[in-house]
Amino acid sequence: MRIVVGVKWVPNTQAVRIDPETGTLIRKGVPSIVNPHDLPAVEAALRLRERVGGEVIVVSMAPPPAVKGLELVLGMGADRAVLVTDRVFAGADTWATSYVLSRAIQKISAEIGRVDLVLFGHETIDSSTSHVQAQVASWLDWPYVYYVSSIEPLGDNAVRVERELEEYEEEYVVELPAVVSIAIKAMKPRPVSLQSKLRAKLERRIITWTNADLKLDPRCVGLKGSPTVVAKTVDMPEVPRKKEVYRPRDPKDAARWIIRKMVEDEKLREVMKGIVGDEL
Amino acid sequence: MMKMDCEKLCPEWPCEPPEEYKDVWVVVEAEEGKLSEASLQMLTPGRAIADKLKENLVGVLLGYGVSQLAEEVIKYGADRVIVVDDERLSTYYPRVYGSAVVELAKKYKPSVILVAGTRRGREFAPYVANSLKAGITADCTDFDVDETTRDVLLIRPPFAAILLAYIKTPFRRPQIGTARPNVFPVPKRDEGRRGEVVLERVEIGQESRMKLISRRKVEKARAGVEKASVIVSGGRGIGGPEGMEMLRRLAELLGGTVGASRKAVDAGWADHEMQVGQTGKSVKPILYLAVGISGSAQHMLGVREAQRIVAINIDPEASIFSQADYSVVGDYREVVPALIEELEKIRKGGVKALREILES
Repeated sequence: MRIVVGVKWVPNTQAVRIDPETGTLIRKGVPSIVNPHDLPAVEAALRLRERVGGEVIVVSMAPPPAVKGLELVLGMGADRAVLVTDRVFAGADTWATSYVLSRAIQKISAEIGRVDLVLFGHETIDSSTSHVQAQVASWLDWPYVYYVSSIEPLGDNAVRVERELEEYEEEYVVELPAVVSIAIKAMKPRPVSLQSKLRAKLERRIITWTNADLKLDPRCVGLKGSPTVVAKTVDMPEVPRKKEVYRPRDPKDAARWIIRKMVEDEKLREVMKGIVGDEL
Repeated sequence: MMKMDCEKLCPEWPCEPPEEYKDVWVVVEAEEGKLSEASLQMLTPGRAIADKLKENLVGVLLGYGVSQLAEEVIKYGADRVIVVDDERLSTYYPRVYGSAVVELAKKYKPSVILVAGTRRGREFAPYVANSLKAGITADCTDFDVDETTRDVLLIRPPFAAILLAYIKTPFRRPQIGTARPNVFPVPKRDEGRRGEVVLERVEIGQESRMKLISRRKVEKARAGVEKASVIVSGGRGIGGPEGMEMLRRLAELLGGTVGASRKAVDAGWADHEMQVGQTGKSVKPILYLAVGISGSAQHMLGVREAQRIVAINIDPEASIFSQADYSVVGDYREVVPALIEELEKIRKGGVKALREILES
């Protein structure tokens, strides 16, 4: 089974701080990482390969520093990685991203071998849209399914998946080729082996494709190929709050201050009425 | 209206003038003979956009045995409902459901399609957008209309959640957006409202390459945070799962439920279902009691609609203090047990016990 896993190189949003003076984002010096929600998808691919054999290929559309992230994923045990990188791909929305990724997957099928399964993580920490999975499935005209918590091979031509909706647990059989989106924390990703990481580096198992290789119309990629445009950004309007801060003498004092607010504040009074009744 | 220069645009996009597209669609999901509340909520921004554009609000209702629900959609504000009542839609598959929407959209050319950001909605909406070679914006928190170009502005907070991005798709129609459940209220039901119901057929094929094997309804043991009027939420400052148990007791006494920040969920102390914030749930309780939560922009985005926020935090510099109504600087390990003790007295002794506490 040849499995492609899409991963994204994202700014570590946990490291983004807000400038207390201006209230704006401090982006400078924010390190990028492999999107953590993609790692369960890598893990799922490696487990499938262990069961049925085959190959795991990681694909990322990203600027060249993403090589570092791809090395980590190779260190987890992926067989090779494809970095799709070109200045013309910059500024892509999810539509333009899915276009490039799906063309890269088709090129893998044509040049490396038929791709049976494409796995993605549930969402990225920097935009959390969950769009690209369905968009890629649409380009490839393959069946697809989201929120998958477990995936089992059924011979060479199908997988059995379990997934969760708000109120349902469902089980599907999906014929290959297909796109499957793995739920957050569905599987614990294995650690990176430094040895595999080094070996992958020595064996040059990262392939780089630019648009000279993909030959896509520059009007369909990057910012130009994005149907959505950011017209403007504004500060998030502040919600008016009372902002009363109390430094209590002791815990009992703290508790009684909160209870007092629950009587004095007419909104919170509703909650207190729920406890003592309407006679309040 | 902007002049279209098709030479400049991606040849994958159909080059059509935006003004050929009219009406605001809301795809309405139905399950077990009932309209989904999250879909009804989308009729609220749908109505507002339609009024600004002076176009119709159209509900699109897909499923099997759903025709009798069409009038309901009108009572919640639609001018027209397009119904596809088809046995092939009795089992939801994202490609089948999505293709049905695509087929209708190609026929009717709506200028806007809104989809509730339920799990299914988030699954099929990007398929619809891609098949129509149109743009899509996820998790909108508001919408507006650019009066000169008539572009819809799809407003969403990017990851840091202190900014709002206004997104438009000037060259492509329809303009497609999703919003998470509970970001918008369900519109007021108007029993007397009349509208048009259009029965449609679609050519959609079956999903031959994917099959539903089993389906089981899971009863969620806890009341969800989405509906709770009181939420006691724990963050990283809780320090461990036993802290969440303490919060559960407090929530019970207050008649509410327990929530958590992403950090508490990532640490494994709380279930993802309980997560409040940009990547979790949007909530609108009367009282949101944030315990050991620092107050990141991403978290606070999920509690914007809370009527009152009360915070307990040991760090006097915590940013939640400038975003809450009432804050106590203190160690929750002491403050919460004290609060539990007082509330237990009040539960037992009623108004009299409460008066005693207030007067002491």
